Parts: sequence; structure tokens; C-alpha cells
Amino acid sequence: MLKSIIYKEWIKIRLIILISLGLSLLALINIFLKVRHDILFVDAANYWYSFLFRGSAYFGILKFLPFAIGLAVAIAQYIPETVNKRIKLTFHLPVSENGILIWMHAFGAAVLLILFLIVMGLFTAGSAIFFPSNMINPSLVTVTPWFLGGMATYFLVALILLEPVWIFRGLYTIVAAGFVAIFYTGAAIEAFRPVLPLLILITLLLSFVVLFSGYRFRKGEM
Amino acid sequence: MYAIECKNLTHYYGKKMVYENLSFNVEEGKILGLLGKNGTGKSTTINILNGFLQPCAGECLIYGENTQLLTPETKRRIGFLIEGHVQYTFMNIHQIEKFYSGFYEGWNSAPYWELMSKLKVTPKQKISSMSCGQRSQVALGLILAQNPDLLILDDFSMGLDPGYRRLFIDYMREYAKAEHKTVFVTSHIIQDMERLIDDVMIMDYNRILAQQPIDQFMNTFRQFNISLADHNAVIDFDGMAVNIERVKDKIEFYTYSTEEEVKGFFKMKGIAYNSFEEVKMSLEDAFIGLTRKY
Repeated sequence: MLKSIIYKEWIKIRLIILISLGLSLLALINIFLKVRHDILFVDAANYWYSFLFRGSAYFGILKFLPFAIGLAVAIAQYIPETVNKRIKLTFHLPVSENGILIWMHAFGAAVLLILFLIVMGLFTAGSAIFFPSNMINPSLVTVTPWFLGGMATYFLVALILLEPVWIFRGLYTIVAAGFVAIFYTGAAIEAFRPVLPLLILITLLLSFVVLFSGYRFRKGEM
Repeated sequence: MYAIECKNLTHYYGKKMVYENLSFNVEEGKILGLLGKNGTGKSTTINILNGFLQPCAGECLIYGENTQLLTPETKRRIGFLIEGHVQYTFMNIHQIEKFYSGFYEGWNSAPYWELMSKLKVTPKQKISSMSCGQRSQVALGLILAQNPDLLILDDFSMGLDPGYRRLFIDYMREYAKAEHKTVFVTSHIIQDMERLIDDVMIMDYNRILAQQPIDQFMNTFRQFNISLADHNAVIDFDGMAVNIERVKDKIEFYTYSTEEEVKGFFKMKGIAYNSFEEVKMSLEDAFIGLTRKY
């Protein structure tokens, strides 16, 4: 049963995941080619100085990538369920309605998390080639909210797409935009360090909101 | 023993009443056809039966369980065909069979592949690129492979050409009777139902007009075409007619009464007629006679 759920969800999102992985690799290649170029032609000391003391991030291109990936994965996974109200087929399967929704959602979130961890891992490894550890740690603290924002986007877009009433979808979109904006607020390097636990907590809490749309659908809201 | 029991169902959309205190049962092993014009509550009833709509009052039970709280064990016994043969069209026929087989212990893929062998589709062709008729066979094959005790078929004829409709009906009838399955079916194309169902339930706005075995309904509900001698005659049919369609002196008279009873009624009222003829009706004629043309 679980194997079947994973099988179907993977069919829906595999293309988007592969494209996302490809785009992420291209972004990382772009970042580190540029770093290599700047270090060669500017000189390493100045480059590190501008990062550490002037907050000039070399990885800005990564900022909205997790947002775009989270959005794309949620759309790929949940639009096929909402077209012709196919979610009825899913809820009719011999599994509890909440149970199957949790499994679907958990699978999507897990794949997204693995993808983000791979990208962050490669980013860390690439950074380690060019920078000392006291530069890598602030870099990771800076990009982590962006990736958390990608996860939050996935959870909130799932909530919006499964909601059966259009006006509620509109309201959720406004609220979702407010939440997601928190993760992408422009700030200096490491500025989010004190609130990282709070951002993680918000993301975890958002992971359950899709159940509300599922409940409303089953009650026949229209 | 009933497969489906609905008791005192009441539902409103906002202030608009769909029905009030609607009750009906479906016996195990029977094929019941739910007929009704648009907006009479067929889809509402299907949605309540499948647990996708909570009625304002009353309840439906399937195998004794409230449809709002069906357990996985009971859901496993129900095959559900969504209006328009909706399926996961992003899969191909192999993927979708593999997907569903993981949920049903008694999965029997033989009837599915038998149906698929008749379709001219390539193994990797996505369901989304199939014709409506081909999709209907995929949906039907999946239900047959699931081997449920109760089949709920919502407007199975939608989008199907006559050949596929006939194929669907013949296959379904044979399967249901051979395997003692219960079927609850709706369709816009009423002529199809005549070949398929044992019992008919006809809904009108807010109420059930008829619920009985199809043979009994077709034998007791009658149409008489009457040509009145005086086309200005004003007649009070007080309860004798279920429905009358009148154009000048021509009357289509729909009733559960016999020819003798109707003639006796005309005689008692002193209404003269030039011709009086009983018309053999199809189920569609009877449906329109009962529910009116508009």
C-alpha cells in the first residue's frame, strides 16, 4: 500500500525533481565558477573581506531557487489531484483519508528535503574548496531560511490547491504570501541566526495545514 | 439484507433545499438505477454515499457503516466510478494497474487485462491521450479487478458513444449477476438503464417519484394518448393522472391506472373523446411522462 502511494507520487513529481536538481546544479556551477573567477582576478583576501565585513554574498542566485522548486513540486503533485476532483479517487482508497494525505504529503516533503540537503551539501562542499570554515558557517546560516522557505512554500501551496472553494484559495494565497515573505526578507549575512529555530518551528507547523483542506473537501465544501 | 440504507436524508445548498427526509434502501445483489433531471440531487446522493458530502440531517449506511466514517475494510468492498470515468490520467495502463493492485488483497487483474487487450493502445500510452471510450474501459477494468461487493457508478454513460455504452452495460450486467454484486448507478441516458437495472428510483425536485422493480414500474405506469371531442373541455383529473401533457384536444395521459379505470373515469366525468390509445413506453418515455418534459 505504502509502496503504491510512493509509486504514484513519484510518477507525478519525478520530472520536476530531475529538472530542479539539474537547475540547482547549474546554479551551483555558476556560483563557484564566478567565485573562482573573482578570486583569481580580484584576489582572495579582498573577496573574503567583502563577504565577512560588507555582507556581499556570493550565492545570491540561490535565494529564490528553493521557493521555485517548492512551488513546482507542490503544483506537480497536487494539480493532478484537483483536476476533475481526482482527489476523490485517492480518498476512496481503502486507507484512512487523513492517513493517505499524510503519506502523500510526507513523501513530497521528504523528496524535497532530500533535494535541498543535496544542494546544501554540494554548496557546502563547493564553498569548502574556496573558503575557510568561518565563512562557510555564516553562508549556511544565510541560505537555510531560503530552503526552509522552499519547504514552507510546498506546504502552503498544497493547502491552497486542495482547498475546494476558490475564495478561500484566494485568502490562503494572501496569508501564504505573508508567511513565505518572512523567509526571504532581505537581510545581512547571518541575520537570521537568532530566529532560525523559530523558522524551523513555523515550517514544521505548516507541514500539517494540508489536512485542513482535505477535511474541508471531504465535508463537501463548495 | 441491504447494501445501502439511507434514512431521512435532508440536504440544503445554502437556502436551496435539495431534498428533505429522503429514505431509500438498496438490496444486496440488486442493480438500482437512480434517475432524475439535472438538479434533483443525484450527484448530491452519490457524494453523500461516498462520504464526500455531509448531509444536513439523516444518514446513509453502507454495509451498516455511516458513509461519513467508512473504515478501510468497508471502502475495500466499494468500487466507485466517478462521473466522466475520471482516473489518474498521468499514468499508463500498466502503471495504474500496478498502483491500485497494492491496495486490494483480492486484486484480480485478469478481467482488467482482458478489457485492455480489446483497446488499441500502446503499452506506454498515457490514459490522458486515450479516447473517452477507452478511458471508460480502463475505469471499468480497474473496478472489475478490485472485485468489490458494491459498485457505485456515477453517470457511467457520459461521453461514451453507443458502442462503448452497450459494451459497458452488457459487461456490467453479466458481471454483477454472475458474481452477485450490488450496483447503484446513475446515467443521463435513460435508454441504457433499461438493459441494466433491476430496480428504478426516480427523483424529482425534493422527493422520490418512484422506487420499485423496473418490470413492475414498466407494467404499471401507462401512457394513453387521447383525442378529446371538445378541445375546449376543461377537465379536473383529480389524482387519476400522474401527469398530463395537453396540446389543444390531444392529451398524453400518464397514470398508474388501467385502461378500464381511465375510461371509467372519463365516462364518470362525462368527457367525450374521439380516440383512446394505450402507448407502449420505453423507460425514457416513462421517465419523461413521470417527471414532465420541463
